[in-house]
Amino acid sequence: MTSQDENSRLTKLEDGLYSIDVTGLVCPYPQLLAQGALEDLSSDDVLEVVLDNPPSVKDIPEALEKRGYNTEVAPFDGTEWKIVVRKKFDETNVP
Amino acid sequence: MFGQKREQTRIISEIEKFSTRFSLGRDSNPFNSTGSPHFLRVKIPGGFLTSNQFRRIAEISELYGKGKIEITNRQGIQLHWIEADEALEVFRELDQIGFNTDMCGQGFRGAGHGDVRNVVCCPASGVEEDEVLDGRPLMKKLTKFFNGNTDFLDMPKKFKISISGCGHDCTRAQINDLAFIAVKKNAEAGYTPLLGGSTGRTQPGPRLAQPTGIFIRPEDAFNFAVATAELFRDNGNRESKAKARFKWLLHEWGLEKFLLVLETKLGLSFEEYIGPIFNGRGEHFGINPQSQKGHHYVTIPVLGGRLTSREMIEFSRLADEYGSGELRLTPSQNIIIPHVVDSEPLVRVLEDMGFHFSVPNIHWMGMGCASDFCGKSQSPHAKEIVKRLTAHLEEVFEVTFLDSADFVLHSSGCPNNCCPSNIAEIGLLGKSARKDGQMVQVYDILLGGGFGPEPVFGRRILRSVQHEELGSRIESLLRKYRENRVPEEKLKEFCLRHTEAELEEYLKITEVEIK
Repeated sequence: MTSQDENSRLTKLEDGLYSIDVTGLVCPYPQLLAQGALEDLSSDDVLEVVLDNPPSVKDIPEALEKRGYNTEVAPFDGTEWKIVVRKKFDETNVP
Repeated sequence: MFGQKREQTRIISEIEKFSTRFSLGRDSNPFNSTGSPHFLRVKIPGGFLTSNQFRRIAEISELYGKGKIEITNRQGIQLHWIEADEALEVFRELDQIGFNTDMCGQGFRGAGHGDVRNVVCCPASGVEEDEVLDGRPLMKKLTKFFNGNTDFLDMPKKFKISISGCGHDCTRAQINDLAFIAVKKNAEAGYTPLLGGSTGRTQPGPRLAQPTGIFIRPEDAFNFAVATAELFRDNGNRESKAKARFKWLLHEWGLEKFLLVLETKLGLSFEEYIGPIFNGRGEHFGINPQSQKGHHYVTIPVLGGRLTSREMIEFSRLADEYGSGELRLTPSQNIIIPHVVDSEPLVRVLEDMGFHFSVPNIHWMGMGCASDFCGKSQSPHAKEIVKRLTAHLEEVFEVTFLDSADFVLHSSGCPNNCCPSNIAEIGLLGKSARKDGQMVQVYDILLGGGFGPEPVFGRRILRSVQHEELGSRIESLLRKYRENRVPEEKLKEFCLRHTEAELEEYLKITEVEIK
């Protein structure tokens, strides 16, 4: 069961897994929305960024890696890309 | 956490304010060595702005863009080194002074996301002595209508409009999708439009805008432009990005059909216009008397169009002190200070700043693209090549000779040809080539192109010339031209009456004479 706020592009796919649809937007908006979504999510949540603007496919992983996230770009499906974003595992925080 | 979405809400609210009027472009292509992640291209409608606006852009460039800007050939201002994280702050600053940016939808894979680009207008509008029609009212109305208009943000591709009111081709009209040229028909001033220009390599290939042979009254020009853009939006090719420019629609329909459809849509019966389109090429360089008696407009030669924020702030001060606080950006990447009563002290200050006025016309007319930022080509880049060649030719030849040849030099770093090398008498089109196992930058040489009254595309005479040889080869050509030209013959005419093989021979490096 998914849930989505009318005023948001963010959708909850399942517990701990969210998707943000930034299709149709040009730079810098896809990156800013993805970063904003991550600010709102918990550090162990996973975010899928769905986008169709090729420059952002390069920008978003670069920007998020610098912010401490691992990113994985799924192959282009002919219409959209999907970038899967996870918080990097920080060994210093292991008790 | 999902229920809170505080950051999302804030960003969405900001984005709603800006997303139809502001965007960034990406600078980071493979060979970009500048470290700039993004650029933004500020639309300065017709290139007209106040000293306060120019000063503020200088300050914004200091804060976010390393204090450097570029004047574009569509009279805009380009800033680099913009970080995505800071973009909303930059957009807010620009919005406060009344400007927005191009929408960079070209990155999308397919056709679509095309917007109307900065409307180019004769930079001497309202001050040129022999002006046919002041294009500013039309430019302002079109800008107000198209900027941020969501009905025109998803055209098959970008759409370029220009307005020349002075009777000369100071806007390079023929490379626009729609160009309005002020003409007189039986003493009545109006416009004759040109349609379908684009020098890029997208299909059906480079095209000069076609004269329509019709006369449009000033009060009908706005509707003519909107209807043309609508026809493009609704009928342009969306299947293929390569066929998405307006020139393809015009190629498919033909000019006659297009005008018939447009006539029906507008409910007008177009009047015929038979007569000259331009009186000359024109660029408004140097110091020129204005239609306002006792006033002059002073065009500052900014070869390559790059300025520092300090220079911008000083130009703003000079516009306040010697002019009326107004500045104008030209399609040749220069700056005009209009309404100057006493130009001598102003020119002295500008000369002291390094902007010299006793230079040949090529200094005012030369242009190069921003290939160092765009990163699709390697060093030496287009602007650097134009500067180097201009300096070389200024050193070797007299100003009077260079001016009599009446040519311009355009250089593009890559085959996208953003600075149209094919409409210059001497055009350079860069690309990467392999030499001794390494990729190096080389340039094709195109000769004999030109815009203005008899526009023509240049012919590609030499391919893949090492950049070190460009100066000597062009010098050799100009020496042959000087020896063999017929009286009053300009370089374009000289090139046109010679075969490609002859021109290739003229480009051969020979032992050079000492000046």
